[in-house]
Amino acid sequence: MAYADDLLKDAYHLAGRGGKNPRQSGLRRAVSTAYYAAFHLFIADFVAHWRTPEQRVRLGRMFEHRRMSGAVLQIHDKHKPTPVEAELMVLIDKFTQLQRDRNAADYDTGRIWSRIEVTQTLDRAGEILTAWRRVRGDKSAQDHLLSMFGARH
Amino acid sequence: MIMPAAVFQQTEIEAEVRAVEAALKPDVVRIIYDLGQDWRDEWAISFRVVLSDEAAHLRLRESANNVERRLAERLDFPRLGVFAYHNFRSDSEQKHLRDKAWA
Repeated sequence: MAYADDLLKDAYHLAGRGGKNPRQSGLRRAVSTAYYAAFHLFIADFVAHWRTPEQRVRLGRMFEHRRMSGAVLQIHDKHKPTPVEAELMVLIDKFTQLQRDRNAADYDTGRIWSRIEVTQTLDRAGEILTAWRRVRGDKSAQDHLLSMFGARH
Repeated sequence: MIMPAAVFQQTEIEAEVRAVEAALKPDVVRIIYDLGQDWRDEWAISFRVVLSDEAAHLRLRESANNVERRLAERLDFPRLGVFAYHNFRSDSEQKHLRDKAWA
């Protein structure tokens, strides 16, 4: 099983702990872990193209969270996006939301999380993983991955 | 600072949100939202949706996706100049937590 899938599985485990009164710490860690599942999936795909395996970790560290969600998807015809482009648009929106939730989970200690809220966030992360694996082979998906890394058009 | 169109169309937004809320009852108990800048300093509208216990526990993914789709159908977020965030919790969770942000 890929690292991203292990992380998402861990996130569900964290979210399920604590019976009817889950601890906020566990719920927050679950959200954060789910975000990193998606984050590491993108990085793994990007660095896989780098020929020297021992340099891939260094390359992966160059990804910046803010830049990843700020990358603009290049759509060939805005009035008629291809099926892959349409799926990428949904995926990007979900990733942006996941990134916002992770930011809140890690830094906004005044925010209260519920298990349903966290479960839905984890489901969203799962949808990102599934959608990316469906489109990752397409040129427009790889182009966007480059943009997430910071490459200009 | 450049204000998005959403800032000037809050009456219309309110009406559309209430219409979605009414259309999706009993699965949706209420929809709360606020407009502001997100952690990236981008303008955003954040929806907090309280679902019935049945909708939250038996068909969470379907219910959540349905709410998101219906809101997007009635509110053109790109035209309004905002990014839409959606979070969900169950009615019984909110009653237990008594979270003012969701009341």
